[in-house]
Amino acid sequence: MTAACAWPIADERLIDYWTGDLPATDGATLEEHLFSCADCSARLEAVASMAGGVAALARQGRISGIISRALLNRLQRDGVRVRQFTLNPGETVPCAAFPGDDVVVTSLNANLTGVHAVSLRVTGPGDVPVGAIDDIPVAAAATGVLWATPGGFVRSMPSQQLRLTLRATDGAGDILGEYVLDHTMNLEAD
Amino acid sequence: MPSVVDASDGELARAVAARAPGTCEAAESELYRRFAPRVRLYGLRHLRDEESARDLVQQVMMLTIEKLRRGDVRDPDQIASFVLGTSRTMAMAARRTDARRERLREAFVAPDAFAAPDPGATLDLDRLEQCMAQLADRERSVVLLTFYAESGSAAVAADIGVSEGNVRVIRHRALAKLRACVLAGRQAS
Repeated sequence: MTAACAWPIADERLIDYWTGDLPATDGATLEEHLFSCADCSARLEAVASMAGGVAALARQGRISGIISRALLNRLQRDGVRVRQFTLNPGETVPCAAFPGDDVVVTSLNANLTGVHAVSLRVTGPGDVPVGAIDDIPVAAAATGVLWATPGGFVRSMPSQQLRLTLRATDGAGDILGEYVLDHTMNLEAD
Repeated sequence: MPSVVDASDGELARAVAARAPGTCEAAESELYRRFAPRVRLYGLRHLRDEESARDLVQQVMMLTIEKLRRGDVRDPDQIASFVLGTSRTMAMAARRTDARRERLREAFVAPDAFAAPDPGATLDLDRLEQCMAQLADRERSVVLLTFYAESGSAAVAADIGVSEGNVRVIRHRALAKLRACVLAGRQAS
């Protein structure tokens, strides 16, 4: 029958099942229900579809924001063309995205000892805010943060200097590093 | 039996087993339409590969229909359990070897009766990209690590420096936001 489910499985459990976070016995029970319930299997399909969409975006390099080292490794392993720039505090680095670049990753090195979360502020000429990312969690032993921007977006940006400020969000909000990206627009050749 | 669309799974399975003239073929198609997506999801969940999941659908549904036709399914009212059990057995075998993949691809009589949805076709990826950009940074990280890098919650927790329980809360909240955002985009268009 295609009637509505009398005992719908909670979304959290469907997600846990999909990600492998349910104990095996719970997963087996849940599967019994899914195979006899059109409603719940359709809801699981929605989770699977969203998961597939997220993976498809990542494989095309269409991701932005702070990424982890594990995620960067996975992108590179999957053949996503990553253009990477690495900056130490106080450093100015010329940067550009080339036609084949799927994603540009800016690696901001900093001493993150004892820091649990940071924020990143990006400003353009005249100190005009370009972007801000708050509450970036810092993993133990991290030596910096990785900021990802889709290659297409970077290619469309005008030539300009971008100032990046990395700040600790715990304690007094100390500045951990200031960096400058000297961006050149839309390079034609790789 | 009521019309195949209104029939229960058990009624459909009994119609196939009885080889009832005029209804058997429609019942088979309806069983396939209902269970193929569930077998595919099972395959995706356990084999983590679209192609393997599609092959599993072919194998499981072919065997199920054949067994029903031959009267080898002891209790047609429990057809869902039968399909699940068959999926488990065959997924286990698929993990060991994919040597039969090519041969089985053509085996089922109606391979076009069920087409696995393509994320790009069922989801507006441009809209999803906008919705991802609206997530808080740690939400986006958790979603990417979970659904792209396929990291478990323990690994995600270690990677971004939050607790495992927190990862699951963030993940659930982020998916709800994404779903609402994508749906809002659909309604707007």
